[in-house]
Amino acid sequence: MVFLSFSVYDFIGRFHPVLVHLPVGILLLAALFIALSTSEKFQSLKSAISISLLFGMLSAIASCISGFLLSKTDSYDESLLFKHQWFAIALAITSVIVYVLHLTNKPTKLIAVLMVVLITITGHLGGSITHGSDFLTKAFSSGTNPSGDGSGKTIVNVQEALAFTTVIKPILDSKCIACHGPTKQKGKLRLDEPSFIKQGGEGGMITLTAKGSESELLKRILLPKENKDHMPPQEKPQLSKEDVALLQWWIENGSGFDQKVKDIEQNEKIKTVLKGLESAKPKDEPLLSDIPDQIVSMGDEKAMKMLRERGVAVSAVAQKSNYLTANFVAVESFSGKDLQLLEPLKKQLIWLKLGNMPLTDEDLKTVGKLASLVKLNLQKTKITDQGISQLKNLSELQYLNLAGTSVTTKGLEALSGLKKLHKLFLFQTSITEADISGLKNIFSNATIDIGGYKVPMLQSDTVILKAPVIK
Amino acid sequence: MSDHHHESFKLNTPEFRLLNNSLDRRNFLTKTSLGIGALALGTLMGNRVLGNVVSSIASENPQATLEEEILRALPHFAPKAKRVVYLFMSGGPSQFETFDYKPKLAGMFGQSLPDSVRQGQRLTAMSANQSIFPVVPSIYKFSQQGKSQTWISEMLPHTAQVVDDLCIIKSIHSEAINHDPAITFFQTGNQLPGRPSIGSWVSYGLGSDNKNLPTFIVLVSKNASKDQPLYARLWGNGFLPSEHQGVQFRSGKDPVLFLDNPQGYDGADRKEMLDYLSKLNTMQNEPYGDPEVQARITQYEMAFRMQTSVPEVMNTSDEPDEVFELYGPDSRDSGTYAANCILARKLLEKDVKFVQLYHQGWDHHGGLPAGMAKQCKDTDQPTAALIKDLKRRGLLEDTLVIWGGEFGRTVYSQGKLEAKDYGRDHHPRCFTMWMAGAGVKPGISYGETDDFSYNVIKDPVHVHDFHATVMHLMGVDHERLTYKFQGRRYRLTDVAGNVVRDILT
Repeated sequence: MVFLSFSVYDFIGRFHPVLVHLPVGILLLAALFIALSTSEKFQSLKSAISISLLFGMLSAIASCISGFLLSKTDSYDESLLFKHQWFAIALAITSVIVYVLHLTNKPTKLIAVLMVVLITITGHLGGSITHGSDFLTKAFSSGTNPSGDGSGKTIVNVQEALAFTTVIKPILDSKCIACHGPTKQKGKLRLDEPSFIKQGGEGGMITLTAKGSESELLKRILLPKENKDHMPPQEKPQLSKEDVALLQWWIENGSGFDQKVKDIEQNEKIKTVLKGLESAKPKDEPLLSDIPDQIVSMGDEKAMKMLRERGVAVSAVAQKSNYLTANFVAVESFSGKDLQLLEPLKKQLIWLKLGNMPLTDEDLKTVGKLASLVKLNLQKTKITDQGISQLKNLSELQYLNLAGTSVTTKGLEALSGLKKLHKLFLFQTSITEADISGLKNIFSNATIDIGGYKVPMLQSDTVILKAPVIK
Repeated sequence: MSDHHHESFKLNTPEFRLLNNSLDRRNFLTKTSLGIGALALGTLMGNRVLGNVVSSIASENPQATLEEEILRALPHFAPKAKRVVYLFMSGGPSQFETFDYKPKLAGMFGQSLPDSVRQGQRLTAMSANQSIFPVVPSIYKFSQQGKSQTWISEMLPHTAQVVDDLCIIKSIHSEAINHDPAITFFQTGNQLPGRPSIGSWVSYGLGSDNKNLPTFIVLVSKNASKDQPLYARLWGNGFLPSEHQGVQFRSGKDPVLFLDNPQGYDGADRKEMLDYLSKLNTMQNEPYGDPEVQARITQYEMAFRMQTSVPEVMNTSDEPDEVFELYGPDSRDSGTYAANCILARKLLEKDVKFVQLYHQGWDHHGGLPAGMAKQCKDTDQPTAALIKDLKRRGLLEDTLVIWGGEFGRTVYSQGKLEAKDYGRDHHPRCFTMWMAGAGVKPGISYGETDDFSYNVIKDPVHVHDFHATVMHLMGVDHERLTYKFQGRRYRLTDVAGNVVRDILT
């Protein structure tokens, strides 16, 4: 044995993952034969018992040897390994006993049951070493996010978040710690806690150098995929482009564990990547300007319920958003009291349609308190210049529809403070083309639409048509 | 009439024994096993996944109907379009005489279509046996219009005025080459009948802000030649619950058939009768849980509300003359395309979610120049007027307008080619549609076709992509709005479709 070099042991050890399946299959089959052959019907199986026990026993011993050699080549979770090893040895011995008992025509049934139990335990422990001890239960516990890319949690504002905990750790957790974590420490490296990361692996420190090019971790993830030192190994799930960019950014900027994202220098490229972390599915949820960026608490359920009972369509503007839209289009016998139901929702309510309701100036007082409104439709209501000034504090307002009301330029002057307003509809009001320039001065950012589109006479309107002729 | 129905609602008469005992074996098993399964699932998941969602919905409104629960889950993201009006040009309008300007054809009148263009692609049986395929350029002139300097045909002078509001897609392509499969494909996402139409999906997924009118309303022009038929299944609900089918509003005395009270009945106790009927139906539904019973209850209630809301919305007498002038002379004649456009605007003002107009008569196998002239005259001004009218009322901001047919037409003439007369066969490989309003970029053209408008050469948009985009604009992820039927989940785009992000604002 002395002349065998270490790499030969290593080589034999690497057969362990293949060999282990043989005793599992063959010994279970042998146990099945033993159980079945007690019945008259399956007497013919009796002759197969001894050969299957023999091969099962041999493969169990081979698995033990190869497993022992494999355990020396790498670092695994010690307590798991210990249990796996001794259960495996117990199993090998048991299989030998069953074989001997069988050859000597002694009863084997009870000890065969023990063997099956040992196979199950050993197999499970072995699986836990390679796949992680939570592999089986993961199906229940991982929630909605099997890919584990950390998007289960939505980052609200990435700039305020802790760089390591929110940005870097999820990447390491999903792509690295299976081999460099609590269960396995390949290359004696653990990446699950800051203290282990600082400690580094066999080759010493991996990240804590200011210059990125000297970081072993960075060097390896940047190597071409075909290179044997590339990490993660070719056959394992790879880091995405964004993951690599984020790791590189974090390492090159000193790989601190307590810094906030905003405290680390960022170029434009990394800013976009960081921004992309903010919502779980950035591609499908473009940030819309007419929905505020801030997160708001859930609206008062009682108020929403009462509004719905009055026939007001109140709903969230989008899934996962607490902002609300309210539409009074189906409300019968509207009264000012209905509007007061909106007040508890003033933080959430951003789109409000009151068009065609018998709304008066008095009611606008309530509307004026709904400070979050972005879109407000007051089309064909009974409001006048007097009431319109109540809206002057709606500083978030972008869309205001006053078509078909009796407001005039004078009344609109009160709204000059609404700097965000960019669409103003004044169709069917007394406001004419002549007033437009004055209004433009007040609302410099807004498109003002007074309707009045002309209907020009066109030559083609008087074209005389010939009946189509089909040849 | 005394209010005897309400005092006690026990139906212990022999006639109702069957109903009272209706928890039979099959229903017992179905209900209990489902319940136990759900319970087990809930426990397995802990309170992590299901628990939270379910409890939040339940606490919101314990009596929430299925519809309301769906409304809570949707929209998936904030919608740009809160309503859609789809102007369906049935028959397949030619792209050559409308939007797809092909100047190089001018010198090729009568020349055979090069094989390198056709590449052996299939033709319809109507022209496949022609010995030659003579190229025919548009008889109508094109000019550049608007700030966007978009090329547009002289046949569409009014549309030319709103061209800066349009997003013209020249690279739409379909799979079907004949009317029935093509139009069914466009409306339901599948060439074979049986799937829900776009409006039904929208109704199912998003519902409506206005509970007094149907979510999905259909208007068919009376002033179009009925060269190709339309069928109610184009606005059918397919396998979705039947309250989501499109409701057709007709011109004339009865906009919705059988909505009025029958002669000799004043309708005074209609509400009471319907309440009683609804209780009976609910009772019947209790053991069976058949969505169609629920649908019937909903429909009765909707019909009752429509008895007041429909006459109100159909009445255009209080529209000022200026509106009729804008939409053109036909607009005073109810049932015409122009009148339907006014009606559509009124319905959209009432927050009806999906309004679909159909205008037939675009199937010009022969006599295309005269045919196109008539079709354009009937539709051009009302279409442009609808855009303007929506715009000035502030509605175009969140209303999506769609114009288009089921396929385009061939570059070659079908039948005999004459100097002033020609026809064009069906061509699904590229044609033009436009969208306007909420969430689409105004004043752009998207996609390009080759010099013969025969193949798409840039940015193809498949019918599924179009569907995905419309759903996206309404705040729906087309991959997540599904309905389980016959053992699997279906969606409007089924297993295809990509949102055309380049045309979104």
